[in-house]
Amino acid sequence: MLLPDYYEFCCRVKIVAGHDALEKIPDLLIERGAKKPLVITDKGVAGAGLTDIVSRAIGDRVDAGLIADDVPPDSDLRVVNRLARLYRDNACDAIIAVGGGSVMDTAKGINIVVSENAEDLMAFSGVGALKRPLKPLIAIPTTAGTGSEVTQVAVIKDHEKHLKMAFGSYFLLPDIAILDSRMTLTMPPFITAMTGMDAMSHAVEAYYCLQKNPLSDAHSLAAVGMIYRYLPLAVKNPEDRDSRLAMAVAACLAGIAFSNSMVGLVHNLGHATGSVCGVPHGLCMAILLPYGLEYNLHKRANVMAELLLPIAGEQVYLATPPEQRAQKVVSLIRGLNENLHAITGGRHARCLQEIKDREGKPSVPRDILPQIASAALLDGASIYNPEDTDYEDNRMVLEAAWEGKPLDRTRVKKG
Amino acid sequence: MSIIKDVQSGKKPLKRAYVAIFLWFTGRAIQAAAKVDREVKKEFEKLPENFTFSLGCLPDGPWMVVGREKGVVKYLGGDSRGRPVQVRLAIKSLDAGFLILSFQESTTLATARNRLITDGEIPYALAIIRILDIVEVYLLPKLIASLAVKRYPSWWTPARKFGGRIGVYTRTLLGI
Ligand SMILES: [Fe+2]
Repeated sequence: MLLPDYYEFCCRVKIVAGHDALEKIPDLLIERGAKKPLVITDKGVAGAGLTDIVSRAIGDRVDAGLIADDVPPDSDLRVVNRLARLYRDNACDAIIAVGGGSVMDTAKGINIVVSENAEDLMAFSGVGALKRPLKPLIAIPTTAGTGSEVTQVAVIKDHEKHLKMAFGSYFLLPDIAILDSRMTLTMPPFITAMTGMDAMSHAVEAYYCLQKNPLSDAHSLAAVGMIYRYLPLAVKNPEDRDSRLAMAVAACLAGIAFSNSMVGLVHNLGHATGSVCGVPHGLCMAILLPYGLEYNLHKRANVMAELLLPIAGEQVYLATPPEQRAQKVVSLIRGLNENLHAITGGRHARCLQEIKDREGKPSVPRDILPQIASAALLDGASIYNPEDTDYEDNRMVLEAAWEGKPLDRTRVKKG
Repeated sequence: MSIIKDVQSGKKPLKRAYVAIFLWFTGRAIQAAAKVDREVKKEFEKLPENFTFSLGCLPDGPWMVVGREKGVVKYLGGDSRGRPVQVRLAIKSLDAGFLILSFQESTTLATARNRLITDGEIPYALAIIRILDIVEVYLLPKLIASLAVKRYPSWWTPARKFGGRIGVYTRTLLGI
């Protein structure tokens, strides 16, 4: 563990977790003086019957009848403005967001518009533009991965102007996150696998990147142990409520860790791969995580070694010579991906060349890697990566991840 | 009984002078490196015309402003003089600025400790950080530069390392 002499940590989200956590919503709203929440979600979530479960749990003590279930997977400013109008026209006083990253970001955007009475959301972009608390926001994640129920950032696109606006403020933290096992019970195994690996990448990157600190470390270590143990169980037995709840809590822990210590190369290359090839974020994270560890190993071997304890347990930890522990962590995470690949009947890709689109065509052709390597130079996650990265470094890591071969660490430029 | 006294931040003239001179020198060196180093040149070419950035200490300086004018990179002094600044790299205080710019604290650590604040579009800010890293490698001996950048580019050819350094130094001192 490193002891930096200055750091910041903040997580003031009330977290309610359980197999029947949703039933607590009316009390939580009434406590905050709210009676008429706007429920927002997407078609997939509503189609899976999850909003019905939420509505039933809320009952009739508060009026939660206004449901907007048409947030697109690629939400933008138009959606935010339309739903903000809906909120105002119906005199709502709180927001309940049920869904994944896109729904959460949209909810945060709506909250800025309705709380600040803003005409132009753009005026509040950047870090620190918000100066006071917003309306009560309850976040109910339906994937166990993104951690956006506990992050203080939102990204809203403006498709008309081809802009991506980022917002950062502690006031964007939801007031309450509800982690209820019923919300993830119907998530298909391969989605469970990749979203779970997204959470794993949050916990692991937070543990070795530059802004790590003892408070984020505690959350990372707890998350890594839980994910390693419960993710294969949740993928194998989708209806196992205990594994589902454990994964929801672990993803939340990982979210708290990374939003206070940031992420590095894995997310850097993952964001670029996602934007160039349109492949799911979680799948990129699963594939790239071992490479992020390998690339930074010469700088962070000691802290990476500490991850072996929550992953493999005391006996393996003690039986592994200290100088081999970091490498062991890498191979166990590769092993976890192999295991998920087997349980999902091959749907969980192990390398970039295995990712297929809906028609079964490869999503990441090899000749697109240079384009991804360049795109990664525009992404801010590189700032917090322990080792520097340039175009060639990105290229080298991507080539290895495409083939699925371990990184040749002798080729990493160490300066 | 007055226990609470007004705490004066003090003027710290020496620290301020050091930081100001360092920024002045770096500003001129960036202008020089944009002519001498291919990579710096390429980074600037990707930035928009009239692009301007600043580096300095909060709350009241000193600052260094560098901008592109008709394709030429220029050190514009300690004040943007009304020019819009697209990227601002701000160090949280003069004390922190002194620590970082006198290489008692590595840039990596300063980032980890939240002492560097980046304002502006991230892709541009990343380009500026890459440019600053290259310039520092030209200006500083290896031992010190290794603290200033995440990774010292030991793979640079001698021609780039030594030839470039002479070019950057000459131009910096002459201000061309
Ligand atoms: Fe992620």
